[in-house]
Amino acid sequence: MPQCLPLPWLGLLLGASLAVVPARSASPPGVLVIVQALDDLVSLDPAEGFELSSVQTFTNVYQRLVQPDPDHPAVLQPGLASHWQADPGGRSLTFELAAGACFASGNPLRPEDVIFSLSRAVKLNRAPVFILNELGWNAGNVDRALTKVDAQHVRLTWDAPVGPALALNILTAPVASIIDAREVLEHAAGDDVGNAWLRSHSAGSGPFKIRRYIAHEALVLDANPTAPGGAPRLQTIVIKNVADAATRRLLVAVGDADIARDLGPDQIAALGGDSQVETLVFPSAMIDYLMFNTANTDNAALRNPALWEAARWLVDYDGIAKQLLRGEYLVHQAFLAAGFPGGLLTTPYHFDVAKARSILAAAGIQPGLHITLDVINQPPYGDIAQSLQASFAQAGIQLDIVPELAGELYSKIRARSEQAVWVYWVPDYFDANSTASAFALNREDGAKTLAWRAGWRIPALSAATAAAATETDPAARMEDYLAIQREVQEKSPFVIAFQARNEVVVRRSVHGYREGLDADMVYYDRISK
Amino acid sequence: MSLGHAPALATLARGLATTATTLACLLLVTFALSSLSPIDPALRALGDHASASAYTEMRHRLGLDAPWPERFARYAGRLLRGDLGVAESTGQPVAEDLRHVFPATLELATLAMLLSAVAGIALGLLCAWRPRGLLDGVVRIVSLLGSSLPAFWLGLVALYFFYARLHWTGGPGRLDDAYQYTIDLDSGFVLLDSWRSGAPGAFANAWAHLALPVLVLAAYAIGQITRMTRAALLGEAGKEYVTLARAKGALPARIIVHHLLPNTRGLIITVLALTYASLLEGAVLVETVFAWPGIGRYLTTALFAADTAAILGATLVIGCSFVVINGLTDALVRALDPRLR
Repeated sequence: MPQCLPLPWLGLLLGASLAVVPARSASPPGVLVIVQALDDLVSLDPAEGFELSSVQTFTNVYQRLVQPDPDHPAVLQPGLASHWQADPGGRSLTFELAAGACFASGNPLRPEDVIFSLSRAVKLNRAPVFILNELGWNAGNVDRALTKVDAQHVRLTWDAPVGPALALNILTAPVASIIDAREVLEHAAGDDVGNAWLRSHSAGSGPFKIRRYIAHEALVLDANPTAPGGAPRLQTIVIKNVADAATRRLLVAVGDADIARDLGPDQIAALGGDSQVETLVFPSAMIDYLMFNTANTDNAALRNPALWEAARWLVDYDGIAKQLLRGEYLVHQAFLAAGFPGGLLTTPYHFDVAKARSILAAAGIQPGLHITLDVINQPPYGDIAQSLQASFAQAGIQLDIVPELAGELYSKIRARSEQAVWVYWVPDYFDANSTASAFALNREDGAKTLAWRAGWRIPALSAATAAAATETDPAARMEDYLAIQREVQEKSPFVIAFQARNEVVVRRSVHGYREGLDADMVYYDRISK
Repeated sequence: MSLGHAPALATLARGLATTATTLACLLLVTFALSSLSPIDPALRALGDHASASAYTEMRHRLGLDAPWPERFARYAGRLLRGDLGVAESTGQPVAEDLRHVFPATLELATLAMLLSAVAGIALGLLCAWRPRGLLDGVVRIVSLLGSSLPAFWLGLVALYFFYARLHWTGGPGRLDDAYQYTIDLDSGFVLLDSWRSGAPGAFANAWAHLALPVLVLAAYAIGQITRMTRAALLGEAGKEYVTLARAKGALPARIIVHHLLPNTRGLIITVLALTYASLLEGAVLVETVFAWPGIGRYLTTALFAADTAAILGATLVIGCSFVVINGLTDALVRALDPRLR
């Protein structure tokens, strides 16, 4: 056998493979490349899509009759309607359509498009339809509720106890996006009213239109130069699905991506010394809270308001917000986020073990109490749960953490089989009622609100929440919600602790990126690079 | 003449029946396991805020209001008509999804397999040439590292050095953005489609994006193949006929080429086939790190979403791959080894 050995083969093969390397490229000029997780995206049909990635797309591809002003979201601005008028009875609105408005296809906007869009969403009866159901609309009555007045006017009526202010805010939700009826019906298959086609195409009037959607891989948007609000500054936006946060960080650091979303605190800290990127911080309306399920009969302590009260003093608010999550969360103790109309900003609770112990002792709750705590098995919930476990243990309460998939957790909550959960809440539309009717409404009429899921019986508070929805005086309405939040803050089985902040890393060459409080409020139209 | 073909036809019929039974059992078990999942598919599809009527309608649409054996029978009926259903996690027909994701994995796994076969057999030969020598030691340590290092970590480190720092390779994804959404990936194979597109630089760019994931995926396979090749060759080298050949003065190269390889090739081919099959379904971590839209990641996303149609479709494709690879391997080994005929 030969004594001299051949070349190290592996090194040769490695070298050969790497020799085919072209020069590296940054993101192309005129094209904005965003990297984020797109695996949540199921449908780009506004009547169906209700995931974060979907609703953020709808804001840029579709318009509603009225929309929140991106810079002042509490103020409604015209969308596809130039004017609107409520009737004296407060149960209908007449909209004048914007003159000359047309869809990306070139088709002019008609009252028929408005009627088709809203009626279609109700009849399809998919995930976001419950928002329109709040107006009392259902498949049986929605056609009677939508009327063409003339070629420029359309009237919407409703029977539900909802005031015009709330109705307008409901109509700002992505599910109320106006679609091009003629374009969609051309692509309808069977009785799907274009649902299969709209899952990956667009028929809107927003600043962008969908050029191509490759499921769970990429979404490519092209500018719509005829958008009624004006053409966007960029020609193309590519939103790429990069599931791994560390890879997203590399892409934005190298310059192959212009914007990286959903980076964790570690990734953002690692980019701290990079002069080519900056981290933009946007407050979000998402709140995190602990919920005790008082409907669970396995653990009688869960129904004891003293446990709820003690728990408010057993969360290490500052430790979690400042040290554990390093800026991802702010301490916030009311169900309406700071910045939301009617948001309560008081934070009366802090970490105080002695106070919690005395409350528990006075109520006869002995040390050694065990409570199972279900949490989503994704960051940062595991870290938060461990902090809670440590702080509750100081008062003699043993939290047994059950990490699980989000789908599994929500199945449990829906079945009211859990003891306690740490979860988050995101409003469905930009109105206090969206969140108030979840936390402070339990009419035990079959509606599975959060209050119902917690087994919290509140007839008086439910009546107050329902009344606030019909209040026509804006100032009085906000006062109503402040009072409702105080009651939830002090007396409920919910321990609301944090408000989230979205941290987005952008290259310094990118200007004009904006996000609002609500999940859908991501605006690409003023971005330049 | 017809009598002469009868045994071959019977063998073919038996093979097809076995394949069909295997796939049917695979689907049945997968379906049953999916229905045991604690995730409510309707709730997963609609979200937590959905209305009761939408939830009820979704359960009906997904067929969840029927017992699982009935649902399976319905699924099997649709499958026989060639309908794999619609994936709730992507909103697209499963067949369309698979047409897109399976070629991506097939391309990655095949290149990794070719690389690891050449390198693994070569390194195995070198190790067996002088067992327990310096090269043997080095190669065994390197191959052990290749098999032991988590692909996730290795992928990130490789990306950091070769893409982010040295700029030697393409980054995550199958092509640069300049090509990615302008070239139609009709066949699903990025090398083929980029070459056919004629776009300047696209073909080289596709290679540049493939280099790292192929190398990382191959690192594990090279270790496996090297160890198995070395063990097979050393096991064969101790036999009397090899000693006799040495005593007769046969050169080492002749011993390897004419004696050892022919007698170990059946085992090596089987190892290669098993490795290839595992690369086809087990590349999920590499696909995640490199943003590679393959079937591993598709299946994982479907599992988290309790998306039964997508899970079954992907399982079927992977199962068929196993059956085809095993069948071809059996035929090849039988053809090469007269003892098995």
